[in-house]
Amino acid sequence: MAVTLSFNKSMEVMALKVEMKNIYKSFGSNHVLKDVSISVEGGEIVALLGENGAGKSTLMNILGGVVEKDAGTILLDGKEVEFATPAQSQDAGIAFIHQELNLINDLPIFQNMFLGREIKTKWGLLDLERMIHETEEMFKKMNVDLDPRTMVRELDASYKQIVEICRAMMMNASIIIMDEPTSSLTEQEIERVFQMMLTMKEHGVGIIFISHKLNEVMRVCQRYLVLRDGKLVAEGDIKDVTTRDLARFMVGHDVRTEPLIREKRVGDEVLRVEGLSFQNAFRNVNFSVRAGEIVGVTGLLGDGRSELFQTIFGIFRPTAGKIFINGKETEVKSPEHALQLGIGYLPANRKENGIIKDMNIIENASIATWPKFSRWGIIDSKRHEELFDGQRKSLKIKMEKITDSINSLSGGNQQKVILARWLSAGPKLLILDNPTQGVDVGAKEDIYDIIMKLAQENIAIIVLSGEAQEIIRVCDRAIVMYHGVIQGEISGKTMTEQNIMTLATGGQLN
Amino acid sequence: MENSSEKSKRGFIGWFKQKWDSEPLFSTAIALLIMIVLQTLVLGFDYDSFGEWFQAWLNNWINILRNNAATGIIALGMTLVIMTGGIDLAVGSTLVAIGAMLMMLIDAGTKGILAGFGLTGAPAFIVAIIIVLIFGYLLGAANGLLVTLGRIPPFIATLGTMMVFRSVTQHFMQGYNPTVPVDFLQLASFRIGDFMIMPIIYWAIIAIILHYVSKRTTFGRQIIAVGSNEKAAKLSGVNVNKVKFHVYALMGLLVAFASTIQVSRIGAMDFANAGRGLEMDAIAAAVVGGTSMMGGRGSIVGTVFGMLIIAVMNNLLNLFGVPPFLRDAFKGFIVIAAVLLQRKERI
Repeated sequence: MAVTLSFNKSMEVMALKVEMKNIYKSFGSNHVLKDVSISVEGGEIVALLGENGAGKSTLMNILGGVVEKDAGTILLDGKEVEFATPAQSQDAGIAFIHQELNLINDLPIFQNMFLGREIKTKWGLLDLERMIHETEEMFKKMNVDLDPRTMVRELDASYKQIVEICRAMMMNASIIIMDEPTSSLTEQEIERVFQMMLTMKEHGVGIIFISHKLNEVMRVCQRYLVLRDGKLVAEGDIKDVTTRDLARFMVGHDVRTEPLIREKRVGDEVLRVEGLSFQNAFRNVNFSVRAGEIVGVTGLLGDGRSELFQTIFGIFRPTAGKIFINGKETEVKSPEHALQLGIGYLPANRKENGIIKDMNIIENASIATWPKFSRWGIIDSKRHEELFDGQRKSLKIKMEKITDSINSLSGGNQQKVILARWLSAGPKLLILDNPTQGVDVGAKEDIYDIIMKLAQENIAIIVLSGEAQEIIRVCDRAIVMYHGVIQGEISGKTMTEQNIMTLATGGQLN
Repeated sequence: MENSSEKSKRGFIGWFKQKWDSEPLFSTAIALLIMIVLQTLVLGFDYDSFGEWFQAWLNNWINILRNNAATGIIALGMTLVIMTGGIDLAVGSTLVAIGAMLMMLIDAGTKGILAGFGLTGAPAFIVAIIIVLIFGYLLGAANGLLVTLGRIPPFIATLGTMMVFRSVTQHFMQGYNPTVPVDFLQLASFRIGDFMIMPIIYWAIIAIILHYVSKRTTFGRQIIAVGSNEKAAKLSGVNVNKVKFHVYALMGLLVAFASTIQVSRIGAMDFANAGRGLEMDAIAAAVVGGTSMMGGRGSIVGTVFGMLIIAVMNNLLNLFGVPPFLRDAFKGFIVIAAVLLQRKERI
């Protein structure tokens, strides 16, 4: 089907006012959005802020036609609309640039610009010249210095963002939703994207800017909207607030639970890291951890904490710096080596990284210790079963037979099995990456108890988490990272959600 | 109100359904059972006594097993390779290369290599077999290195070695026409009673060993982990490269066994054509036996069943006089049917 692009020569976009009123959305018993009302107009850049799980993505997915609302209305210029599919939202002039960019690396820019809406000749073949020409025209108007024939693979992340933005413009977008556009960009690249956004603003486009980086929000946005626990808790003009205010709005409520109390008995240094760097992920990291400590490491998207500890666990080789295990300078060559050194690592995203779905529960629980408890290569099943039996009780794993498939367990219990895997190895340093990810409240508490107990047994524990509350509850101190560097370390009275949020968004504490 | 016979029928059907859904080997075993029954029926009952019938029946089975032993051994190795998420297309060519080496070592005609060292007869055979097993291991190791250190996808790596091994063998064997000493042929025709069963015994022993290895050893379980979720396996301290290397090297070793069996049965080898399509037969046996091409799932016992199902089917097609070209069509049909039937069991 031939598609003719209605290309707006003057580049003045039809200004659009989008209103979302009284939006409700639940996923099962999880009420994600409760009576949320927002509005965005052409010619302004509005920040949409909130912690993970506050409802930002869901709200935008409703606007973008990806997800259906349970109740409420969407109005475009006062007229009510329904978006049942992303295509309908796009046709209405709303473009959604997702966090994971939807460009095809193996195609040139101009083909990406017209993906799904290709211009064809009379005979049904692709009209390459016209597509290239129209792309060039767009780039000229937007002051973008790119050759449309370049392969997308060759572009750096910021230019990919820019291509996505131009594609949105090509589709005559009046409102563009940008989800965490700068999370993996360098300063220079961020500047480029901001220039682009300001240009679009001048042309009358409205932008919804979802980001965790509050100082960037202050730079480029005019208004802000803050979601917390599914409700809109604050909105206003940027000129009236500071980043500390925004952080406070995002975190808001009183600390719901007290930090868990334990008698701390701290031993010798188990891990020390000096000047550790790995490519762009993190730079010049220095810290140390002692036996019996529970250290939290937190930050927002792009902070580099997972990469940091994967490097310590031997998955990556550092590009600079030193690692000291038990005081001795060590090169951790592989996860197998790390295991031998007494380091355990419970990965995030257990579905991709932890669970081996074709193996049953006992196998998943014992894989890390097969080599250790084996004779002549033959696995000592009895020993493993006895060990797991003990763990089943102490970790309170709800399960039937050990030979059941691991998929038969709930998320929380699966996580406990993976935890058991690492505990069997008897590590001296245990790194837990997002240990309560996708775990229900009950199992969460169990896992916190387990962490406490392990620390009492003189194991050094590092908890990586994006939930400040979790860090405060469980950890002795918190290292907060921002964009690959340690922004600060807090403990005791200074370990508050607000302080964590301030550091995590690139701020400083007085 | 059900009467008792209906209840017992439901009980059996219920049990049957439950087994069918939960244990992948069950359906394969049932399929094999059906094939055995068909084979028995086709054999007929036109014999003078039960003893005579039994003799004929047994003979038939021994023939089937013996003819497929070499491929069966390779299918076992292929199972392990596929379970790591890989594939080995080079087995046919490896067979030929090893066969050539073996024949050159023990050549009865123009004096084999070993004869030059003064070794002939039984000692020569033993030495030759040992050398050839090592050679097979090395050829497999070459694949292993390409896949691990070279980080070449197994399909490509073994496609390459498949072409290299055969062509180099053919080149070097130009102008040579080695013959196998008669004594060596005895190895395969060693009889127990009236039956020549050595190849079957080798296949059985190897199957039992590999079954045990895959179920009870660290290596065997790590194979499953690597094939199912390589990333998670690595993060759990498994040396993924070591596991992969060893399955390919092991494959080479097994091909050496198979090649030895072939040479001792046939007494010759057509280097241009021997082993062509062997990899496909091995893969077919593994797949029909329940091995998943995605890796992580499979079993030695299943592959033995799969091999037998295909072997019996071939035999039946032969007996029924199905046109030779169409026989492969049936093989293909069974493979597809097997995968379709197995699919529903998985979450």
